[in-house]
Amino acid sequence: MPKPVIVSLKSISRSFGSVRAVDNVSLEIFAGEFITLLGPSGSGKTTVLRMIAGFEKPDSGSIFISDKDVSQLAPYDRDVNTVFQDYALFPHMDVVTNIEYGLRVKGIEKSERRTRALHALEQVRLSGFENRKPSQLSGGQRQRVALARALVNRPSVLLLDEPLGALDLKLREQMQFELKELQRAVGITFIFVTHDQEEALTMSDRIAVFNQGKIEQLGTPAEIYSAPQTAFVSEFVGQINKMDMDGARINVRPEHITTSKNAHNLGRSVNGVVRDIIFAGAITRYLIDTDKGFSLISTKALDALNVGDPVTASWEREREFHVQK
Amino acid sequence: MHKKRLFSVIAATSAAALILSGCGGSSSSSSGVPKVDMMKSLGKGEGQVNIVAWAGYVENGSTDPKVDWVTDFEKSTGCKVNVKNGATSDDMVALMKTGEYDVVSASGDASLRLIYGGDVAPVNTKLIPNYADIFDNLKMQPWNSVDGVAYGVPHGRGANLLAYRTDIVKPAPTSWGAVFDVNSPYKGKITAYDSPIYIADAALYLMKTKPELGIKYPYALDQKQFDASVELLKAQKPLIGEYWGDYLKHVASLKSGATVLGTTWQVNINLAQGEKTKVEGIKPSEGSTGWSDTWMISSKAKHPNCAYQWMNHIVSPAANAGVAEWFGEAPSNAKSCDLTADKNHCATFHASDDAYWKDVYYWNTPTEKCLDGRKDAKCIPYAEWVKAWSSLRNA
Amino acid sequence: MIDQISDSLHKRPRLRLTALLSAPLLWLVVAYLGALATLLISAFFTIDSFTGNIVQQFTLTNFADMFTDAAYRNVVLRTLGIAIAVTLMCTVLAIPMAFYMAKVAKPRTRKLLVALVLTPLWASYLVKIYSWRSMLEPRTGVVDWLLGPIGIHSPGFGITAVIIGLTYLWLPYMILPLFAGMERLPNNLLDASGDLGAHNWYTFRKVIFPLLFPSLVAGSMFTFSLSLGDYITTQIIGGKLQMLGSVVYQNFSINLPFAATISFIPVTIMGIYLYLVRRSGALENM
Repeated sequence: MPKPVIVSLKSISRSFGSVRAVDNVSLEIFAGEFITLLGPSGSGKTTVLRMIAGFEKPDSGSIFISDKDVSQLAPYDRDVNTVFQDYALFPHMDVVTNIEYGLRVKGIEKSERRTRALHALEQVRLSGFENRKPSQLSGGQRQRVALARALVNRPSVLLLDEPLGALDLKLREQMQFELKELQRAVGITFIFVTHDQEEALTMSDRIAVFNQGKIEQLGTPAEIYSAPQTAFVSEFVGQINKMDMDGARINVRPEHITTSKNAHNLGRSVNGVVRDIIFAGAITRYLIDTDKGFSLISTKALDALNVGDPVTASWEREREFHVQK
Repeated sequence: MHKKRLFSVIAATSAAALILSGCGGSSSSSSGVPKVDMMKSLGKGEGQVNIVAWAGYVENGSTDPKVDWVTDFEKSTGCKVNVKNGATSDDMVALMKTGEYDVVSASGDASLRLIYGGDVAPVNTKLIPNYADIFDNLKMQPWNSVDGVAYGVPHGRGANLLAYRTDIVKPAPTSWGAVFDVNSPYKGKITAYDSPIYIADAALYLMKTKPELGIKYPYALDQKQFDASVELLKAQKPLIGEYWGDYLKHVASLKSGATVLGTTWQVNINLAQGEKTKVEGIKPSEGSTGWSDTWMISSKAKHPNCAYQWMNHIVSPAANAGVAEWFGEAPSNAKSCDLTADKNHCATFHASDDAYWKDVYYWNTPTEKCLDGRKDAKCIPYAEWVKAWSSLRNA
Repeated sequence: MIDQISDSLHKRPRLRLTALLSAPLLWLVVAYLGALATLLISAFFTIDSFTGNIVQQFTLTNFADMFTDAAYRNVVLRTLGIAIAVTLMCTVLAIPMAFYMAKVAKPRTRKLLVALVLTPLWASYLVKIYSWRSMLEPRTGVVDWLLGPIGIHSPGFGITAVIIGLTYLWLPYMILPLFAGMERLPNNLLDASGDLGAHNWYTFRKVIFPLLFPSLVAGSMFTFSLSLGDYITTQIIGGKLQMLGSVVYQNFSINLPFAATISFIPVTIMGIYLYLVRRSGALENM
């Protein structure tokens, strides 16, 4: 049974001056999924998000939310809510007033407003902070308030514009986890924008990789990571060795390269010398200078290696991505 | 702690200010004229003289190269002339009280205040040769002398006229009643002079139209007469578009038609006519208030010799003719009538026409002692006129 | 010698601070507070009724005159009304203007607009008011010539003209702080409000206005206090209209103590105004 489509982008384009920020993008987003728009800055992902929210209007094409054409509607007429990159909390209102804002606009009466706001605050684990001003909160706390402010409206789609970008690494990893948990709990469609491929891989049900205003590839994290369809995707998502061999550009991920002091060949192999060994907790990276003139990184060693050891690196041919030069 | 310190700063400052202001004041008695010595003989000039004057009275060619009676004076006497224009009589009194100035061209509503304030000294007319040529009926008048002592040299005089736009106000007015008529068709386009002294204009009108009030002299009003005059002005207020103080603004209003009727000076009429405005000025049937200016010397003059030389120069036939023509008033020196560029000037301004001046009541400073000689009545002093005018204008 | 001085100054930071601040402090205390104190003290003096000399005797006559004469109550109310009207007009005109400049206009247009707002400040106050006088001149002025055909006539010289003139004069002082405030206002707050369902007017009331309030207060302190103290505009285009400033001006050469007494009023009003502003907490965010 196909999942119901909740947001549908049909050939939308948007230009700023002479720059084509979004170029004929089509995308169907399913109800209840966690989809990430991933790409470097300037790739058009944020513009797509802003067009879904209604802050920008497409020059051409149309946007459907729940089968309704919203292309020309203002933000306040769309059943979506946004969590902004730097939270955009109203500085003159306390936490609970911030969260109640959307309910107040809709004219929901006071006691229900308060109950729902406090519940949302509980969901983001900030009970007891309702009377603080945003300026009295830490970055992570503000993030949660912004989330609660959006969620309390029970939108059918929640848009998140690099919401974790301003947090430090530890907090970010924790929030990634919490966000995912929350999304499962509330069952709302999350459209998440980030330039951090690791974040995208960790959290998403599906990822749309953006480059130069177009979607390069759409798929599950596993597909995107292990079966990139374009060189761009292969290079943007995960680490990869870029090697010039036999007159072609061949890309192979470090974990697919096996290194050994003994000569071996899984499909293709190259000889070299261990230049450096980088220990990084769960994995160890071996930097190898090959006799073909390039260096590569391998994370799979069959023997105990030392710097200076002559080695052979080898991989299966199906792990190769061939890139047109 | 903080507040306390701030308070002590303020207190100290206030005390200092008190001491400072205490030094500047001079004690004055309200009865009689303070004794001030008169100059006995002239000495050498001090190199400069500081003058307070009406705009247009001291011209050195910088306004108009042809209008200059200062440069020659400076060359021949070596007294450099520094001039400060006063906008009103009250301004001039305030300026003279600073003691920074040697000479002033005071109108009648300033002169007595200066005399009784001890701000000016008696003038030794023997030291001013041109004094002899001045019209006799201007000398030793109540506004320039006290108890037979001259306090100044008459400069020139004019009558406050009733101006009207000949193309708009028809028929032409003949009485001050035109500016007091509450049903006037020119409501909102009538003007009046913006000074407490204008109360005298109302008093003059009542003097002629309400004889039962018994007003004899518009500057000597007892309480009842004063109240009646102020009432008349209150009734007039809705008719007024603008009260004028700045004569140039007044001329502009006459020209544009914002003002079509009201009190004015001859010079304003001339200026407006010069700009092709159809306007005339008349002395109405009731007569007029007016001014007669007097050159006076400060009791604290630092340059008395130059001051005397200036007073002699400014009433000399040539200089007196120059001022009279430039400002638009009647000269005080009989000989100056021969020297005006416009040969009809003295006729136009009625310089020697005694009959014309008979019903012109020159500005004077009202005092508690009635100036019309009444002994049984108490008159309203100028300070009360000021209060009443301020109240009337601000209501 | 110099070494010794700098040495001892180094060891005594308080002394150093005192030396540094003495000149501005002297200026503040003597020239500024001193003048103010002299003014306030002279309000309790009176003048000789004839010669106009100031009599330095403590008296409350001036205050009695001021409070008993209805004329001065009227002039206070009138002036307050004008100052409030001017402030409101400036606010109403400046908000859309500042919004357009800060949020809508392209950077180049924005620079041009800021320059245009500032240009009138380079012209003399008097020139500007005299040109309003000639524009508002009944029948012959530009206003009548331009708007007469559609049935709008110049209000002539009076209270309306004064409000127009003062609004024109002080508008830049309202636009500039509002513009600065709008520029500081993050765009995404406006997006967030719309995103949460608020229409523009609701966003304006609940988000823009409260956040602009400190700027508004800053601007109103200019428009309100400048209007409260004005006496020149009303002299030129006010017809016979009198404001508090005109009373002071009118009395200052004739009766300085009374002028000082009158000047208590705007000082008091501004004091109350600043107190209210402080109470409202608007200054905390400035």
